[in-house]
Amino acid sequence: MATLGQFLLLLAFVISAYAAASSVAGARRRNGRLIESGIGALYLVAAVMTVATGVIVHAFVVGDFTIRYVQRYSESAQPLGYKIASYWGGLDGSIMFWVFLLSLFGASAVRINRERHRELIPYVVATLSTVQMFFLTLMIVHNNPFATYLTESPAAGQGLNPLLQNFYMAIHPPTMYLGFVGMTIPFAFCIAALITGHLDDSWLRAVRRWTMISWFFLSLGLTLGMIWAYEELGWGGFWGWDPVENAGLLPWFTATAFLHSVMVQERRGMLRVWNVTLVITTFFLTLFGTFMTRSGVVQSVHAFGEDRQLALMFTVFMSAVLIFSFAWVLYRLPLLKARNELDSWASKEAAFLANNWVLLFSALFVLFATMFPTLSESLTGERLTVGPPFFNTWMTPVGLILLLLTGVGPLLAWRTSTLANMRQQFLWPIVSGLTAGALTIGLGIRVWSSGLCFALSGFVVGTIAQEFIRGAAVRQQTTGTDLFTAMVGLVSRNKRRYGGYMVHVGIVLMFMGFAGEGFGRDEQALLKPGQQVQVDRYVLRLDAIRATEDSQKQMVTGHITVFDDKGSEIGKMYPAKWFYRSRPQEPTTEVAIRRTLAEDLYIVMAGFELGEQSASVEVHVNELVNWIWIGFGLMALGTGIALLPERVLALAGARVGAEATASVLLLCLLLAPAGVLAQTASVGQGAGTGTGTLVFRSAEERELANEIMCTCGCRLPAGTCGMMNCEGKAAQLGKIKALVAKGLTREQVIDTFVQEAGGQFILSRPKDEGYHRLLWLMPYTLAALTAVGLAVIARRWATGRTEASGLGMPAAAGDAGLQQRLDDELRDLD
Amino acid sequence: MSSAISTDHGLRPWQLFLLAGMLAATAVVLVSSGRSTSSVVVLSVTVVAASLVAVAAYRSLSPLVSPEDLVPDAPAGSRTRAALEREKALVLRSIKEIEFDHAMRKTAVGDFEDMRDRLKVRAVGLLRQLDSTGYREAVERDLAARAGAGVGVGVGVGVGVGVGVVASAAAAVPSRPPAPGPGVLSRACQECDTPNAPDARFCKACGAGLAAPMCVACDTVNELDARFCKGCGAPLGRPA
Repeated sequence: MATLGQFLLLLAFVISAYAAASSVAGARRRNGRLIESGIGALYLVAAVMTVATGVIVHAFVVGDFTIRYVQRYSESAQPLGYKIASYWGGLDGSIMFWVFLLSLFGASAVRINRERHRELIPYVVATLSTVQMFFLTLMIVHNNPFATYLTESPAAGQGLNPLLQNFYMAIHPPTMYLGFVGMTIPFAFCIAALITGHLDDSWLRAVRRWTMISWFFLSLGLTLGMIWAYEELGWGGFWGWDPVENAGLLPWFTATAFLHSVMVQERRGMLRVWNVTLVITTFFLTLFGTFMTRSGVVQSVHAFGEDRQLALMFTVFMSAVLIFSFAWVLYRLPLLKARNELDSWASKEAAFLANNWVLLFSALFVLFATMFPTLSESLTGERLTVGPPFFNTWMTPVGLILLLLTGVGPLLAWRTSTLANMRQQFLWPIVSGLTAGALTIGLGIRVWSSGLCFALSGFVVGTIAQEFIRGAAVRQQTTGTDLFTAMVGLVSRNKRRYGGYMVHVGIVLMFMGFAGEGFGRDEQALLKPGQQVQVDRYVLRLDAIRATEDSQKQMVTGHITVFDDKGSEIGKMYPAKWFYRSRPQEPTTEVAIRRTLAEDLYIVMAGFELGEQSASVEVHVNELVNWIWIGFGLMALGTGIALLPERVLALAGARVGAEATASVLLLCLLLAPAGVLAQTASVGQGAGTGTGTLVFRSAEERELANEIMCTCGCRLPAGTCGMMNCEGKAAQLGKIKALVAKGLTREQVIDTFVQEAGGQFILSRPKDEGYHRLLWLMPYTLAALTAVGLAVIARRWATGRTEASGLGMPAAAGDAGLQQRLDDELRDLD
Repeated sequence: MSSAISTDHGLRPWQLFLLAGMLAATAVVLVSSGRSTSSVVVLSVTVVAASLVAVAAYRSLSPLVSPEDLVPDAPAGSRTRAALEREKALVLRSIKEIEFDHAMRKTAVGDFEDMRDRLKVRAVGLLRQLDSTGYREAVERDLAARAGAGVGVGVGVGVGVGVGVVASAAAAVPSRPPAPGPGVLSRACQECDTPNAPDARFCKACGAGLAAPMCVACDTVNELDARFCKGCGAPLGRPA
């Protein structure tokens, strides 16, 4: 079977090469036969990759351990689902899975668009095939998933990493890959449009849909990753700014920017070069993200280890992509001239420009901060750590600006907004924002970022509600129906716009979840059976610690009963540690979570002593965290509505619209009490009242625990390390406690740690001094640079030639008959 | 490519391959009795996928040897037409959308009219293209091309591609750009034959200046702003 697999990979490479060659030749010679054959070859690659996938999945299912990759990532006792998921559990298989998805995605994109964009298709096929060829080359010369053992093969497999044996392993990587792979399609269309010179707005239409689909999968993948981290890693959070997480976020930023700026081009014929650049950059960043995580240039919890040869191959390909694409952009610059100018800064275009500025800044910032440890190592030999505190410091205000723009954008008009227009549009959203802000202060939230976030959320929700209500009112006037029907019609008639607004509401909910992190609580407690501690408004009692086992693993479970502060039982929770037989030294954390809309009670059993029946548990009260997942649900719904084909008729559209409107209304209703609940819950006491020991930590200790890294290799600050019985964590926290008790200031404690460790790598962010100031200066520099860049663009717009003849043409183009027909059709369109 | 329309063709190749794949999958199931269910399922799925390889290989190789220049599996005109219809629906929807924005008092009157007019020009262009790709006319032109043209001249897929901003069926595939319908304003570049938008002043492919519009019905050269041909009175699609 291994030989068959290798043969199929080689075959796929040869066919891809043929597809690329025949398409280009066909397009150059205007030979329909060659073009059609090239399209067929692209389908053929997809079919061959499907068979190859069948072969490797079969090897996993039957446990063919002669294949090295199968032996490393699978074992006989693994449940069937994880055996299949092992396909993408390692480096070689993940590349193959990538090609498989790309071939399927590419084949369907070509099949769907082959009529509408006939002139582009040959070059789309050629681009897709070239990208496939690159990944196939990687497999054939370097990371062959079908490689076999040269000598006698082991009888048993090593098994998939226990951390990966999780339900999300089955769905998170495939969705993530779909998002990454999907960005190749817009890139292929973009290159085809550049080569053929058909750079009018029609190529954008194909690209916009595919970007939206890929963007959706990327968002889904990122959210699933967050849920996975939250439920499995056991440090109480969901986003650790790990390089691999960042790798997924980078193309997300640029794709989001593109989805917004593409509207400016469609409506106003501006930002053409910019849109092409964004598509290319997004594709480049998917490659770069893969390169970062697959080649070991950055250290990460999910990195696949160092691999210089792979790094070299990626570098060559990425450089080739950049040079080739931007050479074409330069060549086609005359065709990419803006047809319009920026009339005013108080316009939708300007808001989109600002939005792009913030998103681009985010992408550059995250990229630089992620790469900084590598850069500093190559410059000074010292690998520094840039951890979550640094990212949070910067990304919090950036996120808030983005949130503000979400509310401002819809209120502005294209071209220019008059003062009267603006007064009318902004009044109610601002009132809504102020009300939310006042409510936040009234409820006693004193964290500035969270408070501002709630106020801005109020503003955005006010904006969107106003858009829905006013829109429905206008429609009501024209159609003469009741308000609800008008609203349903509104959504089904303007799917893109109102779908987009729903995505924005989803984003607002997610931001509220992020803001909740600002005032969550966490405590550590030592418990013996029968003992209880109080955390916030919850009283936890340990009943027992029990050990059980199944065919694959041993499970140690803490049985905890939870009461509210009045003493009535809320429920039982079972945090656990699982020890897989194949890798007993890597136990997995099974977190117990009690979810409510207002907050999660999140219990981790950090350590235990079976003999003494004692357990060390970490208890987190995470505010509003479930709104992140709910927000994503709404985002998915909004994307779905925006993606509905234009042909879905009023009936279907109206039905979806009704559902969507209902859910928005329902969510708005749910939102208010949840907010209130969250606040009351957060003003708890926190001191232990039971017989268990609550580990006391002062505010300074907590802060320092976030600044000092854990030494166990988890790559997290000591305060958030989720390893079991972690000695590194215990040592660091103990040392912090002792130093603080001695009366040392925060700076002195940090200096002590740096001195003892012999370098700043022990800090979760470098100190703002010496050449490390570079890192701290970077965000300012980036912001200034992007601002200058955009100012130049805006200036060129404002002074650019007014080609009013193109758009100022009177509507009477064409003969009167056609004009009459157009008016009739418009009238019938309701 | 449904089986309903394939009755006059007999068994299609892809049906044959798929049938063979299913038979092979059945054989696999019979041969591998005693193995675990999951492995048999994966094996038979793989075998069926192998038949897809055969289908795709056929799809890739057949255009190279087929007598026709192109091997579309449905009348090309109808598919181009569908694409144009979708395009038109989109433009009409956009017009509606900006009218709506205006009703919500977000845009000033001048800006609104400007944007609406631009979209209307595009919509009219599409309507005209749709007229010229009429099914009946397409067939007639097809016949005329076959009768009149010499050996080796392709039929052309996007029969009667007009002008318009969205020249979706432009000339990459056909071996010769097809002739536009009567009454349609020709704005093909004289230097490189690229079709251009009706309002274009320079060719989008080579940058050459576009000459005054020529009537396709009678070849008379008209002024840039003429609405009707001065030679034959055919509408030219230019505003007054």
